[in-house]
Amino acid sequence: MKRFVPTRIIDLELAEPLPDSLEASDCGAAWLVFWLDGVPLGQCELSASQFPIPRSQLESLAAEVTAPAVAHHLLAGPDVPIAMPLDSGGTPTTDLARVLRVEAPLAQLRARLADRGDVDASRALSLVICTQERPDALARCLRGVAALAVRPLEVIVVDNAPTTSATRDVVREFPGVAYVAEPHPGLSRARNTGVRHASGEIIAFTDDDVVPHPDWIERIAQPFADPRVMVATGLVLPAELETDAQRWFEKVFGGFGQGYRPLLYDARFVGAFRGRGVPVWRIGAGANMAVRRAAFERIGMFDERLGAGASGCSEDSELWYRVLAAGGVCRYEPRAVVHHYHRRDPEGVARQMRAYMRGHVAALLCQYERHGDGGNLFRLGVSLPSYYAGLLARAALGGVRLRRRTILGEIAGCIAGVAYYVGHRADAGSAVAPAPVERPSKSAPARAGAAPSASSGSTR
Amino acid sequence: MGYAIHDLEITDPLPPVSTDATQSGVALVVRRGGRPIGFLMHRLGPGQTMPGDDLAQLLAALLGEKIVAEGLREELSARAAADPALRARVPMTPPSVTAAVCTKDRPALVARCLAALVKQRDAAAAAGTTLEILIVDNAPSDDRTAALVASHEGVRYAREPRPGLDFARNRALAEATGELLAFIDDDAVPDQWWLDGLLEAWRENPDAAAFTGLVLPLELETQAQVLFESRGGFRRGFEKIRHAGDTRVENAMYPAGAGNFGAGANMAFRRDVLLALGGFDEALDTGAPLPGGGDLDIFFRVVRAGHPLVYEPRYLAFHQHRRERRQLRRQYWTWGTGFMAFAEKSYGADAGARERVRGIIRWWLLHQVGQIPRAMLGRNPLPMDMIVAELLGGLVGLTGGYRRSLRRTRRIQARHP
Repeated sequence: MKRFVPTRIIDLELAEPLPDSLEASDCGAAWLVFWLDGVPLGQCELSASQFPIPRSQLESLAAEVTAPAVAHHLLAGPDVPIAMPLDSGGTPTTDLARVLRVEAPLAQLRARLADRGDVDASRALSLVICTQERPDALARCLRGVAALAVRPLEVIVVDNAPTTSATRDVVREFPGVAYVAEPHPGLSRARNTGVRHASGEIIAFTDDDVVPHPDWIERIAQPFADPRVMVATGLVLPAELETDAQRWFEKVFGGFGQGYRPLLYDARFVGAFRGRGVPVWRIGAGANMAVRRAAFERIGMFDERLGAGASGCSEDSELWYRVLAAGGVCRYEPRAVVHHYHRRDPEGVARQMRAYMRGHVAALLCQYERHGDGGNLFRLGVSLPSYYAGLLARAALGGVRLRRRTILGEIAGCIAGVAYYVGHRADAGSAVAPAPVERPSKSAPARAGAAPSASSGSTR
Repeated sequence: MGYAIHDLEITDPLPPVSTDATQSGVALVVRRGGRPIGFLMHRLGPGQTMPGDDLAQLLAALLGEKIVAEGLREELSARAAADPALRARVPMTPPSVTAAVCTKDRPALVARCLAALVKQRDAAAAAGTTLEILIVDNAPSDDRTAALVASHEGVRYAREPRPGLDFARNRALAEATGELLAFIDDDAVPDQWWLDGLLEAWRENPDAAAFTGLVLPLELETQAQVLFESRGGFRRGFEKIRHAGDTRVENAMYPAGAGNFGAGANMAFRRDVLLALGGFDEALDTGAPLPGGGDLDIFFRVVRAGHPLVYEPRYLAFHQHRRERRQLRRQYWTWGTGFMAFAEKSYGADAGARERVRGIIRWWLLHQVGQIPRAMLGRNPLPMDMIVAELLGGLVGLTGGYRRSLRRTRRIQARHP
């Protein structure tokens, strides 16, 4: 087994001059992320042996990988591209004259990006962070929150099934952060508790293993200027790629990356995929999302059968499925960035993948149950099995070295997901009862040390 | 049957493009400020015309992002050039260049290439750069090539009696005087900005020892030519690429996707580095029935010795592909044997690469065989006979093609001490 050398993440700000020669030492590879005035535009990966990289090559790379996002920002009309089945890369316009008029694209783009938008996050947006006995990670996350350029209306930490006072102690160090305990385990449960305590019109969510970009809150709020938008998700970048497991997660599993161009998900997206199972997981990640309160009131909150601590994951994508089914719109906004710390250890990754598939399969069944969309069953009964059969075949022939370690776990997770769903059918109704949202009075936001909320709904 | 080739400058108003009664489509060489940014083959039917407006929409849709990318690159480059610290630096003097054409019994083709090279030389001289032109006549049957060269003033001539492309290339290496040695095939023609492109690549990468250029078709008159080009031809894309060290982070094929480095039809080297590496391997590329692979081999050795190799689209040449299907099949066969010869040689000579080479051979075989089902279903742009030719060439090569070639090479060398 060759010794693993970490991947260095290098951020390059294009508003600044590029270095004459870019060095990268003590690493096996480098992950370059290009930004312009704090807006991410593209990324590429280079092997360490290609370093040092002369400026001319950096310029070529920057131009090549950022062109799609830049072309979109400068040439797309007011409507954001609809996310459709075929990867319709390519230009957002067929007007050649317009394309040729794009001279000095960076200067033009800087002018565009200077417009920060109209939604005032400090008045409209609540931030909910759910955590379970990860005080160091939480502290790191809260330091990032403290550094936000625009502070949200309120920050609520939900301590999920605490066994110690570690979380409460961390929160105490951050004045202005509210503490709520939710004794019943489950991420969906904890999130719903957070929603009930929040008073903002928009509720943003992130996880304790995340550090937000300073502009995150301001940017995740802007899509809501469009009244049709019920959900906004943002770009999740890896915070570090120091271990083999972290690299695996990002490169083989695909991390959480959904690209650098904004996308709109609506009924057309659902219609295009209905037969095969709508890929709602593509919309974004729960580590970087915001939901309009009105959406919760209309379609209910997170399904407590799903998510970490329950079936495994997909509590976020199942909610998005409901939003779309009800005619709402989801918007992916890559300008809203968080940095996620992937699990460092391989056992953690294997466990996580098993949990992901368990949650995913349980979500497919929940979605079928709610909406009757046969595509979910197609995916469960046809697509997933043939996908894994193919992976197993290739692994047997010695092909997919990197996937082998988790394939069996993933398959086990799928089976467990079916078992979980069947075992929890009784909870279906109670899990998403649109319980009246308790809003604390505006003059007294929940403080650290507040009593745990009285949880409504099922006691299971 | 054929395609009409149109060379378009995208910043100028676009003319309508048409096909004559025998052609089935148009092939568009698209440039921006002279720099090639795309090549598109578009079916049109015989005797048809695509109006300029439709053409503009097509190009915007397919090349819009590339145009934006070019704008970005220029803006970044201009900003850096405006940096006072950079301007204070002494500009590098461009290197002297030798353009070498290795040929055997094809004076008509050489004449065409030579005419274009002479134009390059004269333009370069006006700009203060030296371009030496050297024709290497390989085991000629007569004096026609010699006579052709004699009729051009200032063009050098060298004769290499040992038949074989790599013998000829090594003769060019021995005779050339330029700091850079650029090879161009006798059935190719350099573009107007060919030399500019090479020098640009050198300026941006002063540490590079090898340069490869874009190769586009000179004509698409026969079905074999259309077939070859529609399968990708010799194109390696329209981005500048710098290959240094282990370029692809997890590519098992590396370095011999060395075909990815570029094509031997249009390549240049720092002469001192080529000499230090011992020149071209004369057991490769000694023509039929001996295997090809000389360019794969040299690219591999250059990069493995730690020198960057740079691909530059502006360093452009137009190549006349094999006209007859039979010749094209032969070419595919040669690529098969050439690849295996190179692989076998690497297996023997380079202990560090052995496991990789095994993997490369396995990948190559699976890749070739994998093409067959698609071809049977009619879904492969490459027809079955070409796939089979390349695969058989590879299998024959696998059975010791390199070793046999070494023996033949020694016999040739013995005949011409």
